[in-house]
Amino acid sequence: MNTTRSKSPRALGVMRRFFARSRGDSPFQRTLIHIALIIACVIAVYPALRILTVSLRPLNILMSTSLAIVPQGATLKNFATVVANTDFVRWIWNSLIITMSTAIVGVIIASTSAYAFSRWSFPGRTGALVFLLATQMIPAAMLMIPLYILSARLGIINSWRGLVIAYSVQAVPFSIWILKGYYDTVPYELEQAAMIDGASRMGAFYRIILPLSTPALAIVFLFNFMQAWNDFLLARIMLQKSELLTWPLGLQTMQGQFQTQWGNFSAAALMISIPVMILFFFSSRWLVSGLTLGSVKG
Amino acid sequence: MKKVLLVLSMFALATFAAFATGSQEPKAAGPVSLSMWTQESENENSYQYVQSLIAGYTKDHPTVTIHLLQKSTDGLRQDFLTASLAGQAPDFLWTVNDHAGPFTAAGVIQPVDKLFDLSKYVKSALDAVKLDGQEWGVPISNGNQLMLLYNKTLVPTPPQNTDELIKMGQQLTKGGVYGLVFNQVEPFWLVPWLGGFGGKVFADDGKTPTLNTPQMVSTLQFLLDLKYKYQIIPKESDYAAMDSLFKTGKAAMIINGDWSLGEYKKLMGDNLGVANIPKVSATGIWPAPYTSGKFFMLSKDLAGDKLAVVKDFINWATDKDNQLNMVKELTRLPALKVALDDPLITSDPILKGSADQMKVGTPMPTVVQMRAVWDAMKPEMNALLANSETPAAAAAKMQQAAVTGIQNMH
Amino acid sequence: MHSLTADIVLRSLGQVGSTVLAILAGVIVLEAGIYLIFGKLLKHRHTLPIMLLAPAAIGLLALIVYPIIYEIVLSFSNMSLFTFRNPKFGFIYAERNFGDVFTQPVLKLVHFLPVFLRTVLWTTIQVTFHVTLGMILALLLNRPMKLRGLYRTLLIVPWAIPQVVAVLAWRGEFQFEYGFLNIVLRDIGLHGIEWKSSPLWNFVAINITNIWLGVPFMMVILLGGLQSIDRTYYEAAEMDGAGPWRRFRDVTLPLINPVLTPAVILGVIWTTNNFNVPYFINEYNLESSEILVTALFRAAFDYSRFGFAAAFAIVIFLILLVFAIIYIRFSGLESVMGKSVQKPVPAGIGRTAAARRSKGPRGEVRA
Repeated sequence: MNTTRSKSPRALGVMRRFFARSRGDSPFQRTLIHIALIIACVIAVYPALRILTVSLRPLNILMSTSLAIVPQGATLKNFATVVANTDFVRWIWNSLIITMSTAIVGVIIASTSAYAFSRWSFPGRTGALVFLLATQMIPAAMLMIPLYILSARLGIINSWRGLVIAYSVQAVPFSIWILKGYYDTVPYELEQAAMIDGASRMGAFYRIILPLSTPALAIVFLFNFMQAWNDFLLARIMLQKSELLTWPLGLQTMQGQFQTQWGNFSAAALMISIPVMILFFFSSRWLVSGLTLGSVKG
Repeated sequence: MKKVLLVLSMFALATFAAFATGSQEPKAAGPVSLSMWTQESENENSYQYVQSLIAGYTKDHPTVTIHLLQKSTDGLRQDFLTASLAGQAPDFLWTVNDHAGPFTAAGVIQPVDKLFDLSKYVKSALDAVKLDGQEWGVPISNGNQLMLLYNKTLVPTPPQNTDELIKMGQQLTKGGVYGLVFNQVEPFWLVPWLGGFGGKVFADDGKTPTLNTPQMVSTLQFLLDLKYKYQIIPKESDYAAMDSLFKTGKAAMIINGDWSLGEYKKLMGDNLGVANIPKVSATGIWPAPYTSGKFFMLSKDLAGDKLAVVKDFINWATDKDNQLNMVKELTRLPALKVALDDPLITSDPILKGSADQMKVGTPMPTVVQMRAVWDAMKPEMNALLANSETPAAAAAKMQQAAVTGIQNMH
Repeated sequence: MHSLTADIVLRSLGQVGSTVLAILAGVIVLEAGIYLIFGKLLKHRHTLPIMLLAPAAIGLLALIVYPIIYEIVLSFSNMSLFTFRNPKFGFIYAERNFGDVFTQPVLKLVHFLPVFLRTVLWTTIQVTFHVTLGMILALLLNRPMKLRGLYRTLLIVPWAIPQVVAVLAWRGEFQFEYGFLNIVLRDIGLHGIEWKSSPLWNFVAINITNIWLGVPFMMVILLGGLQSIDRTYYEAAEMDGAGPWRRFRDVTLPLINPVLTPAVILGVIWTTNNFNVPYFINEYNLESSEILVTALFRAAFDYSRFGFAAAFAIVIFLILLVFAIIYIRFSGLESVMGKSVQKPVPAGIGRTAAARRSKGPRGEVRA
């Protein structure tokens, strides 16, 4: 059974229409493509703009039947309140350093492990791959309590140590999976050629495979980053001091038992999205560059 | 190659050793360090108040540090249990009364009746944390009850009973304005009306649910009629919607709790009116909203020096000056009896209205079973108000779900 | 107030830096040990792969295997709120817990089977939409064009916004009076939909939200895969007379398979385990909108039925495991795990293309 064939007929028709003559696109084709992409962008962005609308509203009034993006009486006061009156900057900083370090560690661990899976066949390889897959199947909520107890025993709660370690490991299975898939598309002859020229095994890995895999490495880095950046449950249980809080925990302090200050909340939410958007924007370059190196053919 | 590896390994081992020993926290000698969790949040301005209390105390007691951590209400309950399991529970809590039930069942907090002179606190507050004859929390504020709040520019005098409420509502509901709004999602808003029709959530033993009663059916029918027969409430309204409607003047009357008084007062000033939820005309009984408050609860493992400091802090935080200060800051009723009689409260119409409503309220049960009851009522209440269930069916399902939920807790 | 000062910046960098260094140190010790033992002492032929895998393996053992074992042990107990400090362990409790998962209501009224079926429906809908829409967008973007960077950045917005925030924002938009969906519906003359109180529409709402959230990620993955496909394949296929659909079927799909298949499998697993979206959009706690993991969460943390929840979690895990095993059996191990070393040769491409391919850009002969 090949799932790649089981798409709905409607989707196939759409693909057929847009894929036609794609290499030498006619202007008409181009226009259609642009229109389709514009529609998709509007769908993607509009709900986010609504968050912006709420953040600009005065007096934390959530509701209005106007669809205008900039509301009546728009004010930047909510943004100012969040930055000045809460520990917002601290939360962002905490999240940033935890996330960056876990992403770096995670990419390093995963890129080397995936290489082993891709280039060697050793006893237990299949089992290990199934195990990696299986780790994704565990409902996250069930890991909370045992991880907490383990961390308490190791003395790594109430500091960032436990969190960095947990986050680094958490994203490893998926990262290995993606990287292995990419490594598999790179023919072994390249490393053979390098080793004939005198490079060691790991030298070939470092000089040939890694540069070719920059799209995959970028994706893995982004993924690790996002996992750690957005995590809430694990951080909540591991961080018991208010100066250590990451932004999800910090944002929660803005939610009352009954009321939530939606204006402040939305303002904070938008400001939190900014580092991520910047990261995405800059890494999109790497997502493309690996292909133009020329030796990927064959 | 081997030499390089050897050097690297030694360096690594050294770092490892430093890392491992560095993870031990230095023991505090002499000065006392406490940790407290609270579910008071910043946007109700109450978190800042807790912080200021702590700052005030530690200024006079420089050897004491109190680490405060804020969590959501459910988060506090879940995480306190988890932390207790690992022996890492905080020393004490500032939280809602219904946490006492689960914490007592799990054996993670200690009773306070022998540690404090509880006679100086309001009885209804103490009743809200009383289980098996003992009190499990020290009250700091009293209330948390629902009341009828109204916009004086639209409603000059509040309705005294439900017939008046309906008549006024019908006159006012037009042109995008609703006569009455309340949170149609949470059963917390159902309970007062149940009391008004003479019904009760639990039987006398306080543990067996009595949800499938004629009184409940009458209550549900009344709510259904408000929406579809008299049409004075919106089609759907959760907390955010009702709050928004009232704030923008699109709702004449709202049933909301004392936590919202501060913000409404700031917004509407003298146009805010507070009254009892109107008497049910059919029975002549005042609706009885749940009253509770906020309480200090002590972790079971708290003892010795730390316990002494916590006791001192709590007694200080609930003395008359601090209590009156809290009234001013948070617009909440105090738990200290002498503070309740202070003219600060009796002369303020809003606080007086709040205190009057409290008199006809009933203490919120803190038993563990309450959770199952809330969860049982919520979906049925929603189905009823969506007109997809009859009152009789909803009541029956509520009861069944509550019984199952309670059974499953064991 | 904890504000950010230079002192704090340095201190926190130090703390995190020392953690990373410690991890690095640990890894070095580990690698040295393996090298010496396996390489020099045992002269094992798989020393290098073992060295490469060791850090990940140890990390996963601690952070995944220990919790699993803990949960298994917990499922053999009667731990709940009342037996919190002294739970009792034994086969009889395991029997009861696992039995209860299938025979007793997992929430208040609903039983296991409806929740399970709903989870299957949810996962199927989600993965189908994610892959289809993601593929379409990736195909559209896979060409040099003006504004490509802009489109890509905008289309990623749903992924960039923190998930919890996005979910809460969508929840607000499903509000009957003020959500933009109903406002638009009313503007075009229809009635507003009761997204929150109607079982059917609440389920639809949950699906809409997750589609919006999940397509960008799949698009990025598929785009990366598309971009690694060499153009010469398409040119060769075109020269052999293949039309656009055949090109897609015979060149794109097989070559993107090593990326697509794992993405689909992981998509299935993650969607089944997706907690945030069904939990928060189901504001009214409708039992008809619960899927397996949200029911599990409520059992564990709202009702504190820890023993039962552990058994429930294991059941969910086993279901996914069985699915994965069946899928692997069906489609062959390699389509999931991928072949090591070689690129799969696309089928249906003519001999001329194959001959062309066998000489690289610098003229060297390839296998």
